[in-house]
Amino acid sequence: MEFKLEAHRIVSISLGKIYNSRVQRGGIKLHKNLLVSLVLRSARQVYLSDPCPGLYLAGPAGIPAPPPQQQPGEPAAGPPAGWGEPPPPAARASWPETEPQPERPSVSHAPRVGDEVPVTTVTGVGDVLQGGEADATEAAWSRVERPRQAAAREAEGPAGGWGVFPEGSLAARRPCFCPLGGEDPPGTPATTPRTACCCAPRPAEDEPPAPPAVCPRKRGAAGVGGGPAGCPAPGSTPLKKPRRNLEQPPSGGEDDDAEEMETGNVANLISIFGSSFSGLLRKSPGGGREEEEGEESGPEAAEPGQICCDKPVLRDMNPWSTAIVAF
Amino acid sequence: MREADTLRPPQLMEVSADIISTVEFNHTGELLATGDKGGRVVIFQREPESKNAPHSQGEYDVYSTFQSHEPEFDYLKSLEIEEKINKIKWLPQQNAAHSLLSTNDKTIKLWKITERDKRPEGYNLKDEEGKLKDLSTVTSLQVPVLKPMDLMVEVSPRRIFANGHTYHINSISVNSDCETYMSADDLRINLWHLAITDRSFNIVDIKPANMEDLTEVITASEFHPHHCNLFVYSSSKGSLRLCDMRAAALCDKHSKLFEEPEDPSNRSFFSEIISSVSDVKFSHSGRYMLTRDYLTVKVWDLNMEARPIETYQVHDYLRSKLCSLYENDCIFDKFECAWNGSDSVIMTGAYNNFFRMFDRNTKRDVTLEASRESSKPRAVLKPRRVCVGGKRRRDDISVDSLDFTKKILHTAWHPAENIIAIAATNNLYIFQDKVNSDMH
Repeated sequence: MEFKLEAHRIVSISLGKIYNSRVQRGGIKLHKNLLVSLVLRSARQVYLSDPCPGLYLAGPAGIPAPPPQQQPGEPAAGPPAGWGEPPPPAARASWPETEPQPERPSVSHAPRVGDEVPVTTVTGVGDVLQGGEADATEAAWSRVERPRQAAAREAEGPAGGWGVFPEGSLAARRPCFCPLGGEDPPGTPATTPRTACCCAPRPAEDEPPAPPAVCPRKRGAAGVGGGPAGCPAPGSTPLKKPRRNLEQPPSGGEDDDAEEMETGNVANLISIFGSSFSGLLRKSPGGGREEEEGEESGPEAAEPGQICCDKPVLRDMNPWSTAIVAF
Repeated sequence: MREADTLRPPQLMEVSADIISTVEFNHTGELLATGDKGGRVVIFQREPESKNAPHSQGEYDVYSTFQSHEPEFDYLKSLEIEEKINKIKWLPQQNAAHSLLSTNDKTIKLWKITERDKRPEGYNLKDEEGKLKDLSTVTSLQVPVLKPMDLMVEVSPRRIFANGHTYHINSISVNSDCETYMSADDLRINLWHLAITDRSFNIVDIKPANMEDLTEVITASEFHPHHCNLFVYSSSKGSLRLCDMRAAALCDKHSKLFEEPEDPSNRSFFSEIISSVSDVKFSHSGRYMLTRDYLTVKVWDLNMEARPIETYQVHDYLRSKLCSLYENDCIFDKFECAWNGSDSVIMTGAYNNFFRMFDRNTKRDVTLEASRESSKPRAVLKPRRVCVGGKRRRDDISVDSLDFTKKILHTAWHPAENIIAIAATNNLYIFQDKVNSDMH
């Protein structure tokens, strides 16, 4: 659990950095942003693989996070202690049991860097879990969920609920990113690709396992939000909605951003990332097509004030388009 | 390497209000150039040693100051281009003038530095101020003569190499052929001719077709000191690629790939960041390369690609603090490294105004501090120690009390003598080895 919090924290810090890189002098630095995105990916993988009941569904095939111990190119033996091993899948499935608890001691003295807050918080959570798992997990879940709903409520229209989806339902939507996404010109109403998409039925299948508190909103938003999640196009109308959603945190100061993001927008962004994270994880023909379009419009053309040149960071951020372009 | 207490008290020069961003000796060591965040270049010249003033033997004085780059605005992309000088490289001297290349994020400039110490006097038609004389007052003719004057150093921009780079330039390197040089940005390396500004050749391009597939960028590059066809570039993944320009016009395929497998026991969220190479330098002999990543310096043998032949820990005590260093952005600091003239000692900077030297032969290392206290007369530079728990000696610094805002990113070593230049934020320290100032 503490890995999740640590990863959560690192994700929010990373997002704060990317946000601030927009306004720094000299344009966005490709190298630094690439490194931040790598950290973001690592933290995201840990975040996704470290289970929390209800937050993630029992793995459908589409879940982007590989089995927790496996990372592309890493030895199959699993991450060493320094990496912060998430509890094994068996423990995950049996979350309500006290099985995970024996993991705590090994975890608490795993080298967590600069982790004054998370460690203490986590041990607290661990104790709570030991005591009354259901209550604690429900509490943790609702703590995360409430801001999500709040954020979703504030967003308007289709893509407003885009950020709300937990990993599973978004994973289901991911396949529709590929073939259809690129064909739709930017600005196409979000509903169109969805109904035409072969994956349309799947989110409905995935609805039931989601926590009831989230379900109604998720369903409602899922009806129209699937398109943009699968087919991001910079500048298209649906993308504007998450901007409002994610702009809720005040922009004053990086620390404030990090603090604000902790409260659950990060979970939204994580789920967004799950659907279409950077090409570090997968190749997307749809994304590639957009890239071509972008390139044809002139290699140096760029959104004003956004990126250095040649849409480097924009392309890199294309999968985060809701989160980052929105900023 | 002798003990640090033989080092003469350093010269401390307040270069400017701006943070120094690069330091470079010229090929003889007579001149030392610094660039700063404000786009200025300050050149120091070493005073010739004289018996009359033994205390100022071989000290460096300001020779010239000029504004190299100005802030610019790219209207097309609505981006400001910083004037910060990223790198300065001297050209080998070919006549009485000195030349150097200075670069910011986008534009490289060739500057010529000339001295004027004589001026003509005794014109017939003009008076001393240059006004035309009344011809009726001229009764005889004289031949104008050159009279000595106060030394004037004139700097003029001879070439401006612009519009060659889409991304931020991180390094420049002059070829041993003295005709070409290369400039590298995050994704591409261009080859220029020093006399031609309107075109350059792209020799390395690692930009992926789909930017979403981007996984590494170029972080530094350098030409081989002797072989004009060889150059190396380092990547954010910690690898080095040696390329041979004879093999192909586009050197995307490396001739040699130097990469050390990652130690899985050290894996963390930040493994990729700390393995990114921030600087690469060929040894003077051309046989070795020196690389700096966040926690170590490594010596590579050009003949062995599998792993470095030597690895030195610069500040391994930071390994457990990577998350904090990530939060305060220190983990992105790009430290440089340097060889001494004989390639026997390597040097690099650290935090708290510490810098480290490693003797490759004796395997001894020392940590020194560039501070005002050490610049008092008769002060000896005493080695510092960072304690990481356990026994603490009197003058040790604990890891938690290190000042991470005081970082030494830029250091330079005189090509022949034991003289080093250390840039500490906006101060330049020049240390000289008093007792043994010759190469050993």
